[in-house]
Amino acid sequence: MRKVAIVGGGLAKFGIRNATWKELAQEAGKAVFDDVKNLAPKDIDSLFVGAAQPERFAFQTHVAPMAAEQLGIFPTRVVARTELACASGQAAIRYAWACIASGLSEIALCVGVEKMNIPNMAEAQTSMTNVLDREWDGVHGASAPPYFAMCAQRHMKEYGTTREQLALVSVKNHHFSTTNPFAQFQKEFTVEKVITGPVVAPPLTLFDCCGITDGAAAVILTSAERAKEFTDVPMYILGSGQSTIGNLVTNLKSLTTWEPLKVAAKEAFKSAKITVDDIDLAELHDCFTISEIIEYEDFGFCKKGEGGKFIEEGQSNIGGKVAVNTRGGLLGTGHPLGATGIAQAIELLQQFRGDVPKERYVKGAELGLTHNLSGAANMHSVMIYGRG
Amino acid sequence: MSATIPLPYMLDFYPLEDEKFTRIHQFFTNLKAGKFTTTRCKKCSTILWQPRVVCSECFSTELEWIELPKEGELFAYTAMVLGAPLGMEKEVPFVIGIVKLDGIDLKILSRIDDVKYEDCEIGMRVELKVIRLEDERVFYRFKPK
Ligand SMILES: [Zn+2]
Repeated sequence: MRKVAIVGGGLAKFGIRNATWKELAQEAGKAVFDDVKNLAPKDIDSLFVGAAQPERFAFQTHVAPMAAEQLGIFPTRVVARTELACASGQAAIRYAWACIASGLSEIALCVGVEKMNIPNMAEAQTSMTNVLDREWDGVHGASAPPYFAMCAQRHMKEYGTTREQLALVSVKNHHFSTTNPFAQFQKEFTVEKVITGPVVAPPLTLFDCCGITDGAAAVILTSAERAKEFTDVPMYILGSGQSTIGNLVTNLKSLTTWEPLKVAAKEAFKSAKITVDDIDLAELHDCFTISEIIEYEDFGFCKKGEGGKFIEEGQSNIGGKVAVNTRGGLLGTGHPLGATGIAQAIELLQQFRGDVPKERYVKGAELGLTHNLSGAANMHSVMIYGRG
Repeated sequence: MSATIPLPYMLDFYPLEDEKFTRIHQFFTNLKAGKFTTTRCKKCSTILWQPRVVCSECFSTELEWIELPKEGELFAYTAMVLGAPLGMEKEVPFVIGIVKLDGIDLKILSRIDDVKYEDCEIGMRVELKVIRLEDERVFYRFKPK
């Protein structure tokens, strides 16, 4: 296995965009080629397109060749679309990494795109509901917000987590997103605003939930040997883990301990030969406020049940035990499903380069992780990245 | 009670139940008769939820139908207030819960009918409710006992 590096990244603005799927892909593609010196589309031998639901939101399949067309790329090794619902973006990076590590590919482009704002939002909600097992869980009207609301209810009951502690995750991540011009949300939130927001699925309000977002993100990967041709500060992939327990909501024995996350995290740390205490930066999948709290615990940043206390004490803020979601997370930047995992990697890359606004810069950071979950928290992916 | 949904197939959440479309049509036939059933592997005895045609533990195809308990208690619950999918927007707010069935290690996600969110509590007793769609299909939900 060859060591692999990410050598550049580029983003399209996240938000409710007056732009189509193809246009978002073009924007992210231009941004990544602008970022990487000495590289042109003709140098790309493999293309991976993270896209969760283009067939529902954009009425379009076969999107990998379409992205190639938009970006002037003529791959000779691998062309693929990666679909893993909310983790589709990281899935693209994982496939590219595997292909470069094996020697099959020399230089790969990952572009994650999601167009989610469509004229009829109930149609969009219908498409999100079929991420769950449509015939057995989605059919009851369940989707992500009710599922994570029940996780919050159980966490509050089992560990005494408070409504205020949940809200603090949203406050932190919306604060960070005000430093990020690519983020959907640019306003500071208070605990009171989060708690008194419109109820989505009790106890969660609109401000406990990430947005419905259009956006795109792209990165370029190559082997560690070649990385310095393209950047002074490559970001190396040091380890990873991924696990799933199927798709049915009730496969997980507990709503407050996500076993596949623990499995994926353990494998990621083991393969990178590090421990959780070595991590300086973590891009955790805060699709809902409760998610980030459970993730602190199941990664081992704090003890089980103490995630609420962890945020309350500022341990997930800059200057705490680990800086979590410095770009603003999914809550602050929005969550275009296919783009999110790639945007998380770009945040770590820019942090390692010292290329972020000083309000969110974590000086001296050497190791970071990105995490995505999908479905009813029954699939988890983790990547460990190191500064070159 | 009639519950929805004149939507095209690709927007319709309810499974196609007829034997022309699924090999577990027996589940729906049983449900029409008020029986809540699933499959058990004859070879390794694993109870499989949802019903299967191949055992995911031992890959046997020798499965038998067994009756599940029709009562249980609420393990967790919430309500769909904002963001219901097409065909269900008019029903909000509705309660969604995870039901722990009596006497078996099995939890099932379900709509909880005939109760308001404010009147639910963890541990509340619930029982099976069979709903009928306009086109004769049936499905299960739970309701307070
Ligand atoms: Zn078996």
